[in-house]
Amino acid sequence: MFETLQAHFEQMVKQRLPSARTTILDQSKIFIVPSKTALVLLIMIIVLFLLGINFQNSLVYAVCFWLLAMLVVNVLHTWRNLSGLSIKAIHLQPCFAGEKAVLELELACDPQRPKFAIELAWPQEDATQVNLVSTQTTRIKLSHSTQQRGRFTPPRIHIATHYPTGLAVAWSYVAVDLSGLVYPAPAPKNQSTEHSQTLAADQQQSGKELSGGSNDFGGIRSYQAGDTPKHIHWGQYAKTGKLNTKVFVDYASHNLWLDWNNVNLPGIEARLAQLCRQVLDAHQAQQQYGLKLPGMTIAPAKGEAHQARCLQALALFGVDNV
Amino acid sequence: MFKTNTKQPQAFITYTGMIWLLAAQLIVMLPFTTSLPPWLIVVVIFAAGWRLRVLSGKATQPNTVIKAVLLLLGIAAIFLSGLRLPSLEAMSALLLLGFAFKALEAVKRRDALVVIFTGYFLVALNFLYSQTMIVGVYGTLSLIVLTGALVGVQQTIEEFTPSQQVRFNFWIAGQILLQCLPLMVLIFVFAPRFQPFWTLPMPMEQNTRGISDRMAPGDIEKLSQSDDLAFRVSFKGERPAQAKLYWQGLVLNYFDGREWRQFANQQAAEELQWSIKLDYAYDPRKLKTQGARYEYEAVYEPSGQPWLFTLNPTTEVQGEVLRAADYRVMAKQPLQSPLLLRAVSHPESIRDLSLAPKLQELALQLPKQGDRRSRELAQRLYAEAGDERAYIQTVLNRFREQPFFYTLNPPLLGETDTIDSFLFDTQRGFCSHYAGSFVFLMRAVGIPARVVIGYQGGEWNEQGKYLAVHQFDAHAWTEVWLAGQGWVRFDPTSMVAPERTEQNLEAALKKEGILLEHSVFSSRKFAWLNSMRKQLDSMQYGWQRWVLSYDQQTQTQFLSKMLGELSFTKLALFILALFGCLVMVWMVWLGLTRKTNPEALEHRLYRRFAEHLGKQGCERRLDQTPHEYAQMAVQVLPQQAEQILAFTQAYQTLCYASEAGQRNSLLKELRRLLGQIR
Repeated sequence: MFETLQAHFEQMVKQRLPSARTTILDQSKIFIVPSKTALVLLIMIIVLFLLGINFQNSLVYAVCFWLLAMLVVNVLHTWRNLSGLSIKAIHLQPCFAGEKAVLELELACDPQRPKFAIELAWPQEDATQVNLVSTQTTRIKLSHSTQQRGRFTPPRIHIATHYPTGLAVAWSYVAVDLSGLVYPAPAPKNQSTEHSQTLAADQQQSGKELSGGSNDFGGIRSYQAGDTPKHIHWGQYAKTGKLNTKVFVDYASHNLWLDWNNVNLPGIEARLAQLCRQVLDAHQAQQQYGLKLPGMTIAPAKGEAHQARCLQALALFGVDNV
Repeated sequence: MFKTNTKQPQAFITYTGMIWLLAAQLIVMLPFTTSLPPWLIVVVIFAAGWRLRVLSGKATQPNTVIKAVLLLLGIAAIFLSGLRLPSLEAMSALLLLGFAFKALEAVKRRDALVVIFTGYFLVALNFLYSQTMIVGVYGTLSLIVLTGALVGVQQTIEEFTPSQQVRFNFWIAGQILLQCLPLMVLIFVFAPRFQPFWTLPMPMEQNTRGISDRMAPGDIEKLSQSDDLAFRVSFKGERPAQAKLYWQGLVLNYFDGREWRQFANQQAAEELQWSIKLDYAYDPRKLKTQGARYEYEAVYEPSGQPWLFTLNPTTEVQGEVLRAADYRVMAKQPLQSPLLLRAVSHPESIRDLSLAPKLQELALQLPKQGDRRSRELAQRLYAEAGDERAYIQTVLNRFREQPFFYTLNPPLLGETDTIDSFLFDTQRGFCSHYAGSFVFLMRAVGIPARVVIGYQGGEWNEQGKYLAVHQFDAHAWTEVWLAGQGWVRFDPTSMVAPERTEQNLEAALKKEGILLEHSVFSSRKFAWLNSMRKQLDSMQYGWQRWVLSYDQQTQTQFLSKMLGELSFTKLALFILALFGCLVMVWMVWLGLTRKTNPEALEHRLYRRFAEHLGKQGCERRLDQTPHEYAQMAVQVLPQQAEQILAFTQAYQTLCYASEAGQRNSLLKELRRLLGQIR
């Protein structure tokens, strides 16, 4: 019985409160119920009514009815404080699994209808209270914990107000049409040091020489016309009388390939965690790096955007395909 | 389902919230100082001071032991100040004590709510002690402050300065209560009224006012010094002449040689009820209705006594009242709040053509001895006069012809032979002296007679069309039973001072050259002051008549006058319609009918700007920045280039680089340019 009711309610909420980038709270979206405080006041009103009856006192009746009227009028005030509020989802910051995803929201209202003490919350996660008095728009941040890597779709935000007297609660849910990335939680640092040695080996094998460089000594070949005299191996010429030229090369990169197949850890998540750690380390070391995942290769590059791309690939590995 | 478990921020009372709470507490407690121990206010100030020091970090929160000790001390003090337990006073005092101490331990918002709700209750409770207009206004103020405190503890708006915060809370509280007012009136008018379910302890009868149920020489003079109101009467149709306005309160049958009382035994109000019902009950068969008919409504001030004052005999009466064999009307309980009575009287009716033995016995009672000279005088005069009527005339003439004086300051009469010393020695007296001695002289020769006390006359208020009867109108007169005529009223005072009944007390005393001690009539000297006083009095009468005495009866009468015949459907529809209208009024008032637009004004203006240009053939693509769009628009509409560039410039300044003071002038500029582009 209760479950069907709840399902019904969910259905209604979904229908009335579709997810959107910008939600303007209006009549159909705001629910309003008297608070527990109002129930206490109601009991007191009943006691006053009895007092009025027993003492046949008109002014006691008057106080009693005034308070009763207040319960009614207050509902309108509370409702008005929420209605017309627009909530716009600005940005959901990516985070690592287990960390808090931070959603940035922009609240706006009609300047003629300032808002007071608006409570926004993800129950059991984070709550904040905001006024829109002197400014017409304001930005707030709300955080939500994450458990799993992948795409994080924030749950509905519970938005409520008890203003002005706390005798009624107007509330609504705002479903944000925005999702953010949750990267795999990176493996702890010490574990990665032993693997960095294997990295170095990879590096030597996969380095690609670019001739004509000037940094590293690459070998000796016979002189060709046009070689700069600086590179002629004068020592050998003195011994053999043959003109030879020293050749220098640059490595095209200290190209680092972060390869799924090189991480020998059991389980997909552990491997991803390891790769994530490597991406972070490589980024921190300002190295060029590429990422090889089964079915996906990201060419070596560096920079924030590249890191984000790699982390995204890790976050969504095996998620979007399913 | 309902996620109510979100933690509410600020679940604790802030410093400003606490100050609000304390102000509300003081305001609520102040009026109780007149009826309850005033040291309670010291308790609240002490508790408040402590709490404020805690909040500012100068003291620590009292622990449970200290709180318990303080509370016990308070309770002990309440009982030491002489309050009995099952009384309203003791209840209120305990409630107030708790209310005051709550300030000390109010930490969470929940505590604040307890304080505020108790405050609401106390405001209502205070109305049990007094319901005057001023108390009503004060109560309203208290409600506003309490509601302000409710708003204040609910949230603190950090954006406001403290003074703004105070004004804001008052504004919200005042607005809400004002909007509540029509609904309150609606409920007040239509809510069903019930008879009391059970009796609660009434306020202790510490001060009864007005006429009491006994009359010793000098009692009524004391009342003459007071210009307190006794009751107000409005007549439906004819009003009797001033000299005929005898408002009978109660009949004093028993004389003990000094003091007149109702019966031999002094009885409490409840006992009196029973004895009246038993063998002193009203019997309509004894009354022969005749003569002029007067219909009126009287509203009696709370006197702490059950006496009601009507023109005798009262033939019809509405309401929960008692009627006795002497044709008086009496309330069932001492009046603690104003009482409204509708009555019809036929003052010329014949009462008791045959006198019941019980009544005759009462009307002939005299002390066994004392006042020998008066008894002898009575016998002598009666023998000379021959019959009852001639004898009565002789006695009345004697008051007129002999040097009797009407005075507020009669000489003291001693404990015994009071009638003798008045009639033969002092000959100066007030109405009680004349009425008492007259009845004595009648009874001395076997003519049934009795003293009646009540009020005589009253002040006509032309603005309000009602008669106001004050304490200084208190009067005593007599009734004598004559065969064939029944009870006949005689007022011996009018023999000495005819002005007393024809005009008022002031006129009667002026003739005697006496000024009233506390100048009761001083405000009546100046015409404008007098007119203002009457205006105010008229308002107070309306207040009592329509607000305080609005009971089941008045309700039915009022509603059927407004709606014709009452039926449930009719009432329900009417209430619904009124409530609907109210809701509409609220919606308009709060601006809920207006469409809101959370978009900032400059964006709205810019959108309109783009729409205008679009109509002229220059649609804005969504990805265009304002700058790019302006470039494009200038090429399409070169003749408006200047305005377009200026508008775009102003808009961008507003969005990205405006300073606080600039905003309004920039918005004005945008509007102006938009008008030109159109």
